Amino acid sequence: MVSSVLIANRGEIVSRIIRTCREMGISTIAVYSEADANAPYLQMADEAVLIGPANPVKSYLNISAIIEAACKTGAQAVHPGYGFLSERGAFAEAVENAGITWVGPSPQVLKSISSKSYCRKIADSVDVPTIPGTLGIVKSPDAVVDFGNANGWPVFLKLDKGGGGKGIERVSGESEAKKVFQRASRIGEMAFGSGDCYIETVVDNPRHIEVQFLADNFGNCVCLGERECSIQRRHQKIIEEAPSVVVVEDERALLFDRTVRIITKIGYQGAGTLEYLRSGDGNYYFMEINARLQVEHPVTEYLTGIDIVKKQLSIASGEALNIEQSDVRFNGHAIEARIYAEDPETFIPSPGVITALEFPGQDDKIRIDHALKANTSVPPYYDPLLAKVIVWGEDRPDALSRLKKALSEFRVEGVKTTIPLNLKIIDSQEFQSGNIDTNFIDTSL
Amino acid sequence: MEKSVDAIMPGLCARVVVEEGEKVSSGQEVAVINCMKTEISVSSNFNGIVKKVLSKEWDELQVGDPMVILETDE
Repeated sequence: MVSSVLIANRGEIVSRIIRTCREMGISTIAVYSEADANAPYLQMADEAVLIGPANPVKSYLNISAIIEAACKTGAQAVHPGYGFLSERGAFAEAVENAGITWVGPSPQVLKSISSKSYCRKIADSVDVPTIPGTLGIVKSPDAVVDFGNANGWPVFLKLDKGGGGKGIERVSGESEAKKVFQRASRIGEMAFGSGDCYIETVVDNPRHIEVQFLADNFGNCVCLGERECSIQRRHQKIIEEAPSVVVVEDERALLFDRTVRIITKIGYQGAGTLEYLRSGDGNYYFMEINARLQVEHPVTEYLTGIDIVKKQLSIASGEALNIEQSDVRFNGHAIEARIYAEDPETFIPSPGVITALEFPGQDDKIRIDHALKANTSVPPYYDPLLAKVIVWGEDRPDALSRLKKALSEFRVEGVKTTIPLNLKIIDSQEFQSGNIDTNFIDTSL
Repeated sequence: MEKSVDAIMPGLCARVVVEEGEKVSSGQEVAVINCMKTEISVSSNFNGIVKKVLSKEWDELQVGDPMVILETDE
């Protein structure tokens, strides 16, 4: 097992990773930008290294500054968290070239799967249905027109290298094709270094269902269940839960089988997630791979009792998975509500200074993952995620009532937060009945 | 006279969409700010000609920081 880990990230996930490292006796190195100099987790880490100014390009996205920090502190491994450089093959490669263990899939795998059309082709090659559309890249607006006229409008143009809810453009009809194609290509070039797009058709009443898996270096792959993440705004998740109310036992087995087929074909090692869309008529389509620890991983940890960060570290250290699929048990129901620093009505970001802070009571059924401290600033340069409230219940109603209580007790002042939105969602009849899809926020609130 | 179009939110400059010498109308988008990974459009409140572009991609911005200077008759 590695004895020290540098965490190449910021915010709540740093606290989260430090917690498991401490339990395992692994020392931790945090990195920070000038904007995060007062972050509470810097005291929790054994060492903290300043890597640059607030601008993430010069700090959290600065590969050479992070490698330098890792070398200087003698870190044995780098855990990238989520976002930032976590799925960047070039970063994984730089870490390995410095003789340091990378906690995640290999640089080669990361480079390959950064192309969504590559992943669609892999899924297709092992007979897993993908969202209907083009498997490969569309080369021109004319190809979009031909596809739409043959298969029906609207269609989605998706950036091959897109992510984080960015790079999804709707094309309503023939007359829009050229304009949208050019816009998508331009955004792709600027934001992701590639303007390549592929087409997906619109799935009716889609639910976002994803499968968490662990895969080691010896060909073992186990699935840790699904998470339902249909409650989203701007294609970004707000509430996640497990199990999904619609996934019945044989569908779960089908999803696990498909997941293992894809992951084995890719030769992926580490923890990861395969995202699927479930159409209103009950079909599952592979959507994409998240090659990292996910924000919502605590939901699965509650349901299975498995510490995913611990598994990531042991897989990265070359250990074999010590569990088989039949060892994975799903107990009760877990829900996560993400609290963002945003206006709960308009979703306009709300950076600022936290003037007052009061946490809900926490016990073995209520977990708050956060990096908050009163009188510290929420900088405008990074993701708006402030905290995650994760609860466990014997069943869904039990979990929901616990979540409601926790959110009602959570007070954050000085910045606007989505706590009122979260409460509104869980109070709604539609959500309580489980009758949701990814359009829920726009259509049912 | 010169007037500035200022940052309306803190964050990072995502891009300036006008060039020096370009004619700008009131209400027209001149720049985009990335605040907490959300893009916020910055529009001019007056007609004019772009005299100087002060912001570039990834510049850190506070509310009120001038991003673009316009030469205007208003």
